Amino acid sequence: MNLGPVSRSAAALAAVLLAATAGCSTKAPESSGGGGGGGDAADVQTDVGVEGTTIQLGVLTDLTGVFAALGKDLTNANTLYWEDNQVCDTYDVELDVQDTGYVPQTGVQLYSGMKDSILAMQQTIGSPINTALAPEYESDQIVNFPSAWSKTLTEIPGTGVVGATYDVEISNGYDYLLQQGLLKEGDTVGHIYFEGEYGANGLAGSQAVAEAKGLNIVEAQIKSTDTDMSAQVTQFKAAGVKAIALTVAPAQTTSVAAVAQAQGLDVPMLGNNPVFAPGLLDGPTADWLKTHLYVASPVSSFADHADLLDAYQQAYPDVTPSLGVLVGYGMATLMNQVLDAACENGDLTRAGLVEAFDGLEDVDTGGLVVPIRGFENGKSPSLESFVLVPADEPGGAKVAQDAFEGEFAADIAG
Amino acid sequence: MTQFLSLLLNGISLGAIYALIALGFVVIFKASEVVSFTQGSLLLLGAYAIARLSDPLGFYLAALVGIAITALAAFVIERLIINRLRGAPVISLAIVTIGVDIILLTELIRRIGSDILNVPHPWGGDSVQIGDVGISENRLIAIIVAGLLIALFFLAFKFSSWGVAMRASAEDGETAALMGIRLGRVSALAWVVAGILTGVAALFLVGSPTPGVSPSAYTVALRAFPAAILGGLDSTGGALVGGLLIGVAESLAAGYQDDLLFLGRGFGDVVPYIVMIAVLLVRPSGLFGTRELTRV
Repeated sequence: MNLGPVSRSAAALAAVLLAATAGCSTKAPESSGGGGGGGDAADVQTDVGVEGTTIQLGVLTDLTGVFAALGKDLTNANTLYWEDNQVCDTYDVELDVQDTGYVPQTGVQLYSGMKDSILAMQQTIGSPINTALAPEYESDQIVNFPSAWSKTLTEIPGTGVVGATYDVEISNGYDYLLQQGLLKEGDTVGHIYFEGEYGANGLAGSQAVAEAKGLNIVEAQIKSTDTDMSAQVTQFKAAGVKAIALTVAPAQTTSVAAVAQAQGLDVPMLGNNPVFAPGLLDGPTADWLKTHLYVASPVSSFADHADLLDAYQQAYPDVTPSLGVLVGYGMATLMNQVLDAACENGDLTRAGLVEAFDGLEDVDTGGLVVPIRGFENGKSPSLESFVLVPADEPGGAKVAQDAFEGEFAADIAG
Repeated sequence: MTQFLSLLLNGISLGAIYALIALGFVVIFKASEVVSFTQGSLLLLGAYAIARLSDPLGFYLAALVGIAITALAAFVIERLIINRLRGAPVISLAIVTIGVDIILLTELIRRIGSDILNVPHPWGGDSVQIGDVGISENRLIAIIVAGLLIALFFLAFKFSSWGVAMRASAEDGETAALMGIRLGRVSALAWVVAGILTGVAALFLVGSPTPGVSPSAYTVALRAFPAAILGGLDSTGGALVGGLLIGVAESLAAGYQDDLLFLGRGFGDVVPYIVMIAVLLVRPSGLFGTRELTRV
C-alpha cells in the first residue's frame, strides 16, 4: 500500500539514476546480441553474491549499541531504497543485515559469516569497525560504504566515504563563517576535538584554515567520555575566542552551548556533521544552539527531500527520522551507480565492482549527498559541504547554505 | 583571574558531585569491607530512571523515585549477592561487584542507545553571575545540596545509633557482632545510603552544563574512585576532601592545558589518577585513612 509515496520518492531521484540505468539497460542487450529484458543477466560475468537475478549485499550496522538510532535510520533507508530500485533493470538487491552492537570484534566475526554470500557491503557503521575490517575488505575486493568521514577510510581500496572528509568539511564551515562575517582573518578560534582519528582529522582542517587566514587556534583535546566542557570553554573565554569549532559528539555540543551561555561567551559554534543530533533540541540549550550552531554536513535537510521523508515515515511510522536517513538513501544510491556501471561493463564480479567503483566520476545523488568527484585513494571524495543550522523541522535542521566548495577545500583535499 | 576563579568554582561544583559518590564508596567499604565497583552503573541507573520518569511523574517526584530506585538497586545487590558471600575474600567480592556493574551497565547502555535523554530540571540551563564568574544554577544547587547532605551524613554518622553501629562494626566487626550489632543490617543500610548519595549525584550530574543522560555519565564514578582512595578509603572526611581535590585539579588541568602542553594533550583526564598516586606515595593510607599497624 505504501508503494505510492515510495514511487514518488523514487521519482524524485529518477534524474540521478537515469543516466546510469538508462545507459545500462540499453547497452547490456547489445552485448547479449539483442536479447531483451532479463535475458542480459546471462551475459554478465558474476562470482560471489549473485544468484540468478538477485544480488546480495552485506550491512554491518549497529541496532543495539551506542549508535543504534543512527544504525536503524541508515539501515531502514538502505532497505527502503532497494525495495524500489533495481540494478540494470534486471537485478533485485537483497540486504543481509547484521548487528555489530558497535563492537569491532563482533563486526569481524559477522563479516566472516557473511562474506561468502555477498557481493559487496552496502553499509559498515563506525570507524573502528571499518578499520578493523580494512585488510579483509581489501583482500576480498569488497566495495563498501562507511558511515564515517575520516581521511584514513579513503585509503582503503573500495571504500567510498560518502562526502567530504572531516578536514575538508570543517574548512567549508570556516569558509561559511568568514563569508557571513561571523569570523575575521586573524581571529582566535577554540577547537574542542576527540582524541583519535576523528578529532585529529577535524583539527587538521582547522589548522589548514588557520594557516591560510592567520587564525590563532586554541586546541582542547578531550576523550569521548568527557561531557562537561566547563573548563575548556572557560579557557576559550580567557583566550578571547571569536568562534568555537567542534569535532565531538552531540553530548559535548550541548555542554559547550550550556557553558558558553552561562559565561556569556556569545560566539558562533561550528561543527563537523557528527556533533549534532535532533535530540539536542529537546534540551535546555535548544534556543542557544538554534542561534549559534553551524554544522558542516555531507547531506542536506529533509526540507529538500519531502518525498523521501513521507515514504520513510509511512514505511517506519514508529521512528523519529534523523538526517541519517539521507545518508542511508544516499549511500544506496551510490551503490546502485557502482552496480549499474559494473553491469554495464558486463562484469558483476567483485573485481569488476571495484573497477567500476574506481572509475566513477562526478557522481550526483540528486542533492541527497554532496556531489562526489570520485573515489581516489587518500583523497576526499568531495570538496563540498552543506551548512545546516538546528531548527524545529523533521531531522532537527535546515539548510543555511547549499552544497558549496569552500576556499580551502581543494588544497586540503589533495 | 576570572579564568582561575571560573575554573576553581567549576572544579568545586564537580568535586561536590565526586564527593557524594566517593562517600558512597567509603560508607560501603566501612560497613562491609567491600570495595564496590557498582557505583558507576548505579549512577547511570539513577540518571536513567529520573529521565524516564520525568515525563509521567513530573520532575520532583521523578527525582525522588529515581533516587529511591537507585537505593533499592543497591539494597538488592547487597542482599542478594554481597550478604550471601560474607566471609569470601574481599578481593573476590570486589570482582563480583565488577561483574554486577558490567551486567547492569550493559543493559542500561542498550536501553539508552545513542539518545541523549534530557532531564527537565526546573532551573534548566539558567546561570548565575558571581562577579565576573558565571556558573550554571544546576551546579550551584548541586554544591548546596551536596554540602547539606554531607553535613547531614556526618551528623548521622556521629550521633545516630546506625552511625555508632557502623563505626563499631568497621572498627572491629567480630566484637561489634558479639555486642549485639547486626552486621548484616548495618551493611544493608550502608548500601542504601550509598545508593541515595549516588542517586543525588546522578540528579545533578545530568543537568547543565553536562548534557542529559548518556552512557558516558558512567565514567564520572570512575573519577570518584581516586577521590575516595586518596582521601583514605575508610575516611568519610577524606572522601569529601578527596572529591574536591580531584574536581579542582581536573578543572584546572583542563582549563590550563595550553600551559601544560609539555605534558601532552588531554592531560586533564589523567590528573585524578596522578593526584591519587602522588598522595599515596607520600601517605600510603590516603590523606585521612587509618594507618594499618603491623606487628613484626
